[in-house]
Amino acid sequence: MNATTLRLELPTLPPAADELRREVRSFIAEQRADGRLPPPTKVGLGFSAEMTQRIAARGWIGITWPSQYGGQARSALERYVVTEELLAAAVPVGAHWVADRQSGPVLLKFGSEEQKRDYLPRIAAGQCFFCIGMSEPQSGSDLASLRMRAERIDGGWKLNGHKIWTTNAHRAHYIIVLARSSPAESSRHAGLTQFIVDLKSTGVTVNPIVGMPGEHDFNEVLLTDVVVADSAMIGTEGNGWNQVSAELAYERSGPERWLSSFRLLSELIDALDQQARPASLEELGRLLSHLLSLRQLSLSVAGMIERGLTPNVEAAIVKDLGTKFEQEVVRVVRDIVSVEHLTCHGREERLRKLLVHAQLWAPAFTIRGGTNEILRGIIAKGIGLG
Amino acid sequence: MSDVEFIHDAVSRVLADTVTLASIQEAENRKVPIRLFDALADTGIFLMLAPEEYGGVNANLSAALSVLRASGAAAAPGPVLETILAQRLLTQAGLDPTGGLSTLVFAQPLDGPAPGATFWAAPPPFHEVPWGGLAKHFLVVWDSGTGVRLVVSDCSAWRAVPGADEAGEPRDTLQGENIPVTCSLLSGASYDELLRTAALLRAGQLLGAIEWTFNCSVGYAMERKQFGREIGKFQAVQHMLAELADHTLASAAITMAAAERCTDTMVAAARSRVADAADAAISIGHQVHGAIGFSREYALNYRTRRLMAWRNDYGSVFYWRHRLGAQFQNLSRDAFWPAVADAGLSSLPTR
Repeated sequence: MNATTLRLELPTLPPAADELRREVRSFIAEQRADGRLPPPTKVGLGFSAEMTQRIAARGWIGITWPSQYGGQARSALERYVVTEELLAAAVPVGAHWVADRQSGPVLLKFGSEEQKRDYLPRIAAGQCFFCIGMSEPQSGSDLASLRMRAERIDGGWKLNGHKIWTTNAHRAHYIIVLARSSPAESSRHAGLTQFIVDLKSTGVTVNPIVGMPGEHDFNEVLLTDVVVADSAMIGTEGNGWNQVSAELAYERSGPERWLSSFRLLSELIDALDQQARPASLEELGRLLSHLLSLRQLSLSVAGMIERGLTPNVEAAIVKDLGTKFEQEVVRVVRDIVSVEHLTCHGREERLRKLLVHAQLWAPAFTIRGGTNEILRGIIAKGIGLG
Repeated sequence: MSDVEFIHDAVSRVLADTVTLASIQEAENRKVPIRLFDALADTGIFLMLAPEEYGGVNANLSAALSVLRASGAAAAPGPVLETILAQRLLTQAGLDPTGGLSTLVFAQPLDGPAPGATFWAAPPPFHEVPWGGLAKHFLVVWDSGTGVRLVVSDCSAWRAVPGADEAGEPRDTLQGENIPVTCSLLSGASYDELLRTAALLRAGQLLGAIEWTFNCSVGYAMERKQFGREIGKFQAVQHMLAELADHTLASAAITMAAAERCTDTMVAAARSRVADAADAAISIGHQVHGAIGFSREYALNYRTRRLMAWRNDYGSVFYWRHRLGAQFQNLSRDAFWPAVADAGLSSLPTR
């Protein structure tokens, strides 16, 4: 019946992926030994242009792209191995994350030859960072209702509108803006187009938004009569919705959805000793069983992507489960830390800081990159409802 | 077609032909499902884990998991898992498989018969033995502290105090004195390893019942109309079923992976994860079905009640969670991820 529409493939990693995993682990060990990777006191993707340079030097950004665009033409499973190893070790990968995960792949799939030659090698070299111009003040979950206007002018386009929740807009080089280039007539998904905008262009204003943890990651990006050339358009005019859907599939399927607060669990396990109560170990065991299951699912999705499938429903399931799991991690770690008195008398200062930070981020886990309600709608459709 | 594929096909046919609401209900009146077991015996399912020199198929755990998944989906009554595993245990002890209806328990009593003994003078009572009073053979896998022993006896040699589980299937207490037994050493196997096998196979049955419940609930939501439209069109119902899809896929992933790599970590993870999925299947399955799901005449309850009955078999959910937590408890922060990453893969990077 319907469950058969949900696909599951047990992963087997090629020997090259095992070799790559060893390389990434020894890279991480070197970084730790050199003092470039201090144990973190924050969850989430750290931002470090220097670390991005070092990762690029190993060839691990754009690793699946063809060599003429700076890539290594390696498999999606190998990329998966690199990302999970870096994330689990809390390596700050935030600078290149968006470009490596979705901007680059979208250019590779829909971009012009000129765009591919221009941007992809710079992304792979760790020199060019992207951010995502989708959400707007009045268009959150209902993305197709966006109001950013793209107006045709001689030789190009003029953009006017307001993007928001733009991570890293204050330190990225480019933003890919989704804009309405013609009225929604036949369908509300029609008439949307993607443009690459240089964040230094005249008419671009980036204002910080400080989030609940008290940090500046998000921004609002105002575009006032920003002029871009025809060559800045990605893919086909009016095909933006399809392109963005492909992009969101990349955005949703990765291990960052269940590894962004992994270091909190690592610190808890480091702090636990032989005296831990049976109830604490049971709760921990339950979390670990969800973690191990998520990883099997994630690998299954990576395997399907490698075979050229688009497992959008399965990716939505990973993100729905993964983000809920991360919130559970925060709750369980908080309760175990409390009952085991792990941070009393100034002990385990790093664990305490991480826990505070993770709690402040946790409500965002099930919102960013598509709310879980939107994901459940996708899943429901995928199993034949809706 | 391989032997394993043949068995799977044949088992699916037998389940479809012989497992009816009537036959499931009969088992609730302490009637051995003879027709089902005779037909299953003909498929070769009971000898599938036994080695070839004993007439078996020597199938791997993934193959056994897939037939037990089918039996769980069908809500097949009777000691299916126990009879399959018993044949493998008998051959591991150097005994001939009987193929007869079997039941088993895992036990760690302080005292018991020595290898070669023919009587068990004062056995402890064994509680909640599946079909204990009605099966033919009773196997005790006994962790003596100095090696694992297999104590085989006839069920009829014991006094059975009838009991039943949530599904209405017999779970009897077996007690007695001077029971004639065959006691053998199970060489080359650890108690934990054997318990893991049983726990994994039970996870397969649970998974089958969860998947059946998910499919049936989706199907029902697409047919049942209220307020002039199918209830599956309502967002509240869609979100419940999406959540059940999450649980179903996640528990299938970990259980299948655990069959490929039957380690302590993977089996413990599977049993813990499947338990959460079983709870979700019970609550969401019934919530979506509304009142009709509560009726004994409707098929849902036979899966629901088996999910309840099986959830804590061969190591309770807390046992497996505690075991999993304890395995990771003493790791350093940097050793934690490699332990997670290497647990679920068949080809392992070595450090």
